[in-house]
Amino acid sequence: MEVKYLDLPPQFADPQLLQEIAGLLKDCRFILGPAVARFEEKFAQICGARFAVGVNSGTDALFLGLKALNIGPGHEVITVANSFVATAGAIVAAGAQPMFVDVGPDYNMDPDLIEAALTPRTRALIPVHLTGNPADMPRLLEIARKHRLFVLEDAAQAVGAAIGGKPVGSFGELGCFSLHPLKNLNAAGDGGVITTNDEELYWRLQRLHNHGLKNRDEIEFFGYNSRLDSLQALIAAHRLQQLDEVTRKRLDHARRYDGLLLGLADDVVLPPRRPGVRQVFHTYVVQVRDRERLMSFLAEHGIETKVHYPVPIHLQEPCRRLGWRPGDLPETERQSQRILSLPVHQDLTEAQILHVAETIRQFYRRR
Amino acid sequence: MKVKYSYLEEQFRDYPAIFAKIARVVETGDYTLGRAVAEFEEKFAALLGAKYAVGVNSGTDALFLSLKALGVGPGDEVITTPNTFIATVGAIVAAGARPVFVDVTDEYVMDPDLIEGAITPRTRALMPVHYAGVPGDLDRILALAQSRGLPVVEDACQAIGAAFHGRCAGTFGITGAFSLHPLKNLNVWGDAGIIVTDDRDLRDRLALLRNHGLRNRDEVDLFGYNSRLDTVQAVVGLHLLQDFDRITATRIKWANRLDEALSRLSPRVTVPARRPHKRYVHHLYMVQAQDRDQLLTFLQARGIEAKVHYPIPLHLQRASAHLGYQAGDFPVAETQARSIITLPVHQHLSEEQVDYMIEMIREFYR
Repeated sequence: MEVKYLDLPPQFADPQLLQEIAGLLKDCRFILGPAVARFEEKFAQICGARFAVGVNSGTDALFLGLKALNIGPGHEVITVANSFVATAGAIVAAGAQPMFVDVGPDYNMDPDLIEAALTPRTRALIPVHLTGNPADMPRLLEIARKHRLFVLEDAAQAVGAAIGGKPVGSFGELGCFSLHPLKNLNAAGDGGVITTNDEELYWRLQRLHNHGLKNRDEIEFFGYNSRLDSLQALIAAHRLQQLDEVTRKRLDHARRYDGLLLGLADDVVLPPRRPGVRQVFHTYVVQVRDRERLMSFLAEHGIETKVHYPVPIHLQEPCRRLGWRPGDLPETERQSQRILSLPVHQDLTEAQILHVAETIRQFYRRR
Repeated sequence: MKVKYSYLEEQFRDYPAIFAKIARVVETGDYTLGRAVAEFEEKFAALLGAKYAVGVNSGTDALFLSLKALGVGPGDEVITTPNTFIATVGAIVAAGARPVFVDVTDEYVMDPDLIEGAITPRTRALMPVHYAGVPGDLDRILALAQSRGLPVVEDACQAIGAAFHGRCAGTFGITGAFSLHPLKNLNVWGDAGIIVTDDRDLRDRLALLRNHGLRNRDEVDLFGYNSRLDTVQAVVGLHLLQDFDRITATRIKWANRLDEALSRLSPRVTVPARRPHKRYVHHLYMVQAQDRDQLLTFLQARGIEAKVHYPIPLHLQRASAHLGYQAGDFPVAETQARSIITLPVHQHLSEEQVDYMIEMIREFYR
């Protein structure tokens, strides 16, 4: 049986969506038109934020967020090294220096390690809600307030996740989301969104992402071109109607895996759970023994799995040039050798999930 | 009679044909740097006569990434003109460098006589703008750049298909930056841009810079950006490329008709000199007009969507205050800003509409 990691075609082959796009082609408002404003409004609503600004990508959501907070050369930003490279890339693009702290068993920023990483140049924290599991925002916010640091949530993988019913993206000064085709809420190309409750930041972001233009002819300050295409906003708004269903299915699949893979002890370590927290399982990550062989074994049985990510950011070439070395982030490095992402997308069937779990069990029985 | 400036609704009336092509992307889920992007890059490079093309998120990013690929950054200066769209200057500032302006010629493009005087020890690049679709004086700019060892990044965002002595604008400098914004001559359904170059190393560097510096899925060579041409937009671009020669030819035809009629209204209307060794693609058809603001109102009241690109030059924008320029620094650009007017010249106009515009302008000055 074939189990693809992700199945995009069924998500976009929707006649209703084609009709909506045909509507856009009748008025041709491709740039910052009403489709974008409508999407921003709905997105802000589901995130429990006052404002949302559509931008070109999740990367740009972080980059523009830092720029809006005037973070740049000479500043340091604390984040984690087990994220997609864009988290650190956005900090470097803003001119600042990424400072990595290690993660806990939940793959998220370990709040206990932040104070040791602070310097007089630290301006912000970027916790990443990796896998769709919210970082410990109450504690992170407490530390941030104490040291007067801004908090930008990297919620690129976590749309719909919540702590005590409060959605991610509404804790920090800014919430940064991605609408990349591989995300739970996706467009058919690059897209991103920033959420905030701060009217002044909203005002700055609106200018920053559109050349700094106050109106057609006047420029307030120099900015960037990072707009969410109307076309992509339309597609994302359409997919937003299905987000609850998508999340519910991913949660069901995760619970199913939890049950089916239980009892494999150290061979397969299941994702952490905490009460009162809503995870959205952008990825279903387990830690496994003998990962490379398991991956090949699963592939032979038609099952596509991935590793997010095998090389932590601090051990990538550009960070090694900055002096980062193996051993600097022991937990991150240990996990990077063991983590494996199983297919958890909304279009999986019960039979496919059983096939994945049974094949994993078979692998460890053989040995 | 109505003469609209935007023509997108007419242009995309055949959207079902484009939908059919997008359906193929949907069937494969190939949304990020998909096959259509590579195909579009190849065809675009061939159209221009360049070796390589790299699709990016916007014309702005085409300029920004060009500067980054050349290592331009804080402490550096880049020479450009003050009568351009803000993105030219925004890209220089985004790269961390300082924009240095020189004045323009009667054709709205960089005056080659003034470049030398603007060069300092910190100058790292020249960024001439082929404004409005007018190719700059590339022989003189290139000769000067070579003698001073400066790279030229051509802002060809408005000049796809423009040529200088038969060679396409954008292929003279180390890179040429193009925009595919919906309002451009070659356009797509959202933001998009593309860079051309003949330099293999630069191409490779640009390919890294636009995609997070990723050498492959798991390894990062350098910290980069996320600035990719969407596959879906590349499909639209490929579709329109088939029509591109006709689009350009039509714009040139209407521009020539306007040129001929409006030059008879001199000195009230000044048509810029047209030089035989240049191919103008008229992204913006701009003439200078006496009593411009009244003419603008007059034409708009008669259904003609004329515009001004742009009333405030870059050096006089509030955003430029820290650069220390003042009114009078660039007299030609400033005089033009007060008298330029842009008339619709797009491929969906009829001869009747063009003649109506001519008639209305004549009537205004009668």
